[in-house]
Amino acid sequence: MNGRKSFGAKKGGRAGAGAGAQGKDGQRRPMFRRRKVCKFCSDKIDDINYKDTKLLLPFVPERAKILPRRISGTCALHQRKLRVALMRARQLALIPYTAE
Amino acid sequence: MTRKYELVYVVSPEASDDQVTDLHNQVEAIVQRIGGSIEKTENWGRRRLAYEIGRHKEGTYVLEVLHGTGELMKEIDRRLKVTDLIIRHLVVRVDEAQAVIERTKARRTATSQRRRVARGLPADRQPGEGQRGDADDDRDDRFDMGNERGMDR
Repeated sequence: MNGRKSFGAKKGGRAGAGAGAQGKDGQRRPMFRRRKVCKFCSDKIDDINYKDTKLLLPFVPERAKILPRRISGTCALHQRKLRVALMRARQLALIPYTAE
Repeated sequence: MTRKYELVYVVSPEASDDQVTDLHNQVEAIVQRIGGSIEKTENWGRRRLAYEIGRHKEGTYVLEVLHGTGELMKEIDRRLKVTDLIIRHLVVRVDEAQAVIERTKARRTATSQRRRVARGLPADRQPGEGQRGDADDDRDDRFDMGNERGMDR
């Protein structure tokens, strides 16, 4: 990715918000990040159901923790619903609490 | 006040099919005795558990959609707790959540119809219309990749 630049603000112009302008090694590299959108809003999924493991599994990474909003981009409303669904699914052993 | 509930229970893998149906009949008997109704029953069959429960690694999942009162569910919950063959169960009240979902859906279709009419289009989507092509993301900048992996870290 070195030297690759992508100019022009992404949709909404807020794409780079919060991203540091400098890389870790002190090299200057403009960081542009695609603005994350809530999967449930864009796909118009109203029903976040605990039975729907296929839908829930992408939000359960390796360590079986719930993927935080800052990474998945889920909106607050849907993250809340997602959390409830995940916790119900956990109770029924459809998804794990922890990875051993 | 009858409400709609969902009941999922996990039956021990040692149970035979007859025992599973027997459990269903027990639930049905309680429902009928206390005054409720079963809307539907689904047997998901034998599935792997995400973690071990006791020493079990598998279980037979059964879903029942019930109409009834809180007392009924309390009784069912109590009975399932003392049944050894059932290794896990969950009771969820669903009527309110479903009402919310329906309202959201209705609101969304209403909004889209209103907007479409305002734009001079027929209220409902025509077949083959509004299919999103790849034109939305024609920039080959790779910044849209890795969304699944959590690029933020």
